[in-house]
Amino acid sequence: MKAGPSQEEIRRHNLGTLLRHVHIGGSMSRAVLAERMGLNRSTILGLVSELGAAGLVREELPRETGRAGRPSLVVRPESDRVYVLAFDVGVDRMSAARIGLGGVFLDRREIPVLPGPRDAGKVAEVLAGCALDMVGAARRGTHCVGVAAAVRGTVRRSDGLVRAAPYLGWEDEEFGEDLMRRLGLGLPVSVGNEASLGALAEHLRGAGTGCQDLVYLHGDIGIGGGVVTGGQLLGGDCGYGGEIGHMVVNPRDGRPCGCGARGCLEAEAGERALLEAARRDPSSTGREAVHAVVEAADRGDIVARAALRDVGDWLGIGVANLVNVLNPRTVVFGGTLREVFLGAAAQIRSRINRLALTASRENLRLRVGELGDDAVLVGAAELAFSEILVGPLETLARAGARTA
Amino acid sequence: MTTTPILRLRGIDKSFGAVQVLHDVSFDVRPGEVTALVGDNGAGKSTLVKCIGGIHPIDGGEYWFDGERVQVHSPREAAALGVEIVYQDLALCDNLDIVQNMFLGREKRRGLVLDDTTMEEMAARTLEGLSVRTVTSIRQQVSSLSGGQRQTVAIAKAVLWNSKVVVLDEPTAALGVAQTAQVLELVRRLADNGLAVVLISHNMNDVFAVSDRIAALYLGRMAAQVSTSDVTYSQVVELITSGRSGDLGLAHSNGVTA
Repeated sequence: MKAGPSQEEIRRHNLGTLLRHVHIGGSMSRAVLAERMGLNRSTILGLVSELGAAGLVREELPRETGRAGRPSLVVRPESDRVYVLAFDVGVDRMSAARIGLGGVFLDRREIPVLPGPRDAGKVAEVLAGCALDMVGAARRGTHCVGVAAAVRGTVRRSDGLVRAAPYLGWEDEEFGEDLMRRLGLGLPVSVGNEASLGALAEHLRGAGTGCQDLVYLHGDIGIGGGVVTGGQLLGGDCGYGGEIGHMVVNPRDGRPCGCGARGCLEAEAGERALLEAARRDPSSTGREAVHAVVEAADRGDIVARAALRDVGDWLGIGVANLVNVLNPRTVVFGGTLREVFLGAAAQIRSRINRLALTASRENLRLRVGELGDDAVLVGAAELAFSEILVGPLETLARAGARTA
Repeated sequence: MTTTPILRLRGIDKSFGAVQVLHDVSFDVRPGEVTALVGDNGAGKSTLVKCIGGIHPIDGGEYWFDGERVQVHSPREAAALGVEIVYQDLALCDNLDIVQNMFLGREKRRGLVLDDTTMEEMAARTLEGLSVRTVTSIRQQVSSLSGGQRQTVAIAKAVLWNSKVVVLDEPTAALGVAQTAQVLELVRRLADNGLAVVLISHNMNDVFAVSDRIAALYLGRMAAQVSTSDVTYSQVVELITSGRSGDLGLAHSNGVTA
């Protein structure tokens, strides 16, 4: 049996925790940090100076306090000194961003693409090209400390293998490995499911800030899901958990789903279901097409209204099931589901109120995502930051050794 | 989680001459919540709001604010309590910029001159606190703003004064889908920041999207005030159109509540 943690381990843990506080919470005084971490002020002072000496945080005067008296210094993350690379392999665009400590976008690239199958090698090549371009443009003496990518598909947690991403035509693609080789930064590339990362982002920096139990639903080509429970992202045994879009809500006479089953939530309430119910031109897809339906409904188009009502009904059924199983405090609608929610809220809420257990639903909050289209990228960045937030000095030392 | 109401009306009566408009109305507004006030045309929503805002004196009933019984005789007295109302016409001046509008009639002075720096800072901080990113410059003339941006400025003006209760009269009525979404997010954020928000709306999607409670007026009476997580769309429509729905609402047409 192992004895308690050593002094060194405790210190490492405290350094990581402090860095996480300013990374997520932004500038805060040492007094606030002491209170939040439950440590005394001299320990905090020591930790801050150690992180300060490494160039990860800086102490400075707050911009403005609005109160009388000498303002106390605040600790803020050094956003342009350490950064991560975040990628999002979207349906109609690919995004790459260089994001600094504290979650600041330092640089970003967007590449519009045609929806449809894409060669994984090509995708990695294009994204790596963008990333190296951004790394080259970064100030000297700055360090990349992590890389992560988001795909709409099932990703094995142990090694980041993309098991399936139907919209790209991928099956068992070693996308992360490939991207890592092409980047040549000596950093592993973490790969995650887009909605799980969106859930993480909204939990840490968006509509679910301070909420430990939330469900995130992300609409674009399908419906992705991410679950945060007790402050932790739910992954399941191998990391495939949270596929809310494939929760079966209408198995007997439901619509066929891309996964081969029938009546999945995605098949009943996804983009294709909405556009078909609204009798839209099959060639128009994507967020503009969804927006057009919501707008038509707002103007009084009865076909669009009926389509939104149907989709809202299925979404309500889906959320009611989730509420009964997970008892979330907040359900966040992101991607194109943001507009669908606002256009069908009466239907969705009514269904939940009729189907979900009273105790589970009484404090339920339905919210739209606050991070908009950036949620997935922000979540990928948080995944990439995870290492430095566990062992700040070690991670930085390794990054320094690579750059040297 | 039930918080105590910050604004509590009991048995409010209001008549204009021989016409009785509000009868025995009770209404609770809680901090951190959006309370939707719904009702048909002529149900008394606007009159109730004007009573809350001190424009119409109440004929009878009790007005409680923050646990104390108060008398509100003018908009200024309502504002002093921390009650702000954003009317449909927004009452913004097209020929002035955002800062000037936000401080109109309540300008900050330094000696004899206007303290522009402080006003700009306060305006900027308020807009930032509401995460308003749609306005490019706070020195922009209001005439150059879109409908949604105007609504945003009017709402920001209402929360600038450390207000505790903000009443919004149909803030999305004249807006398109995208701008409605922005305003609804703002409404939600106000409440999540701890304010008590009253939202008047005819759009049931807006009501169900952002409200925590729904208060339905029917012919000058409060048919029911219910939690948004307890009712369905059709129940609310019934409350609006007939004053009752199942066990909810007015028991008889003579106004005895169930």
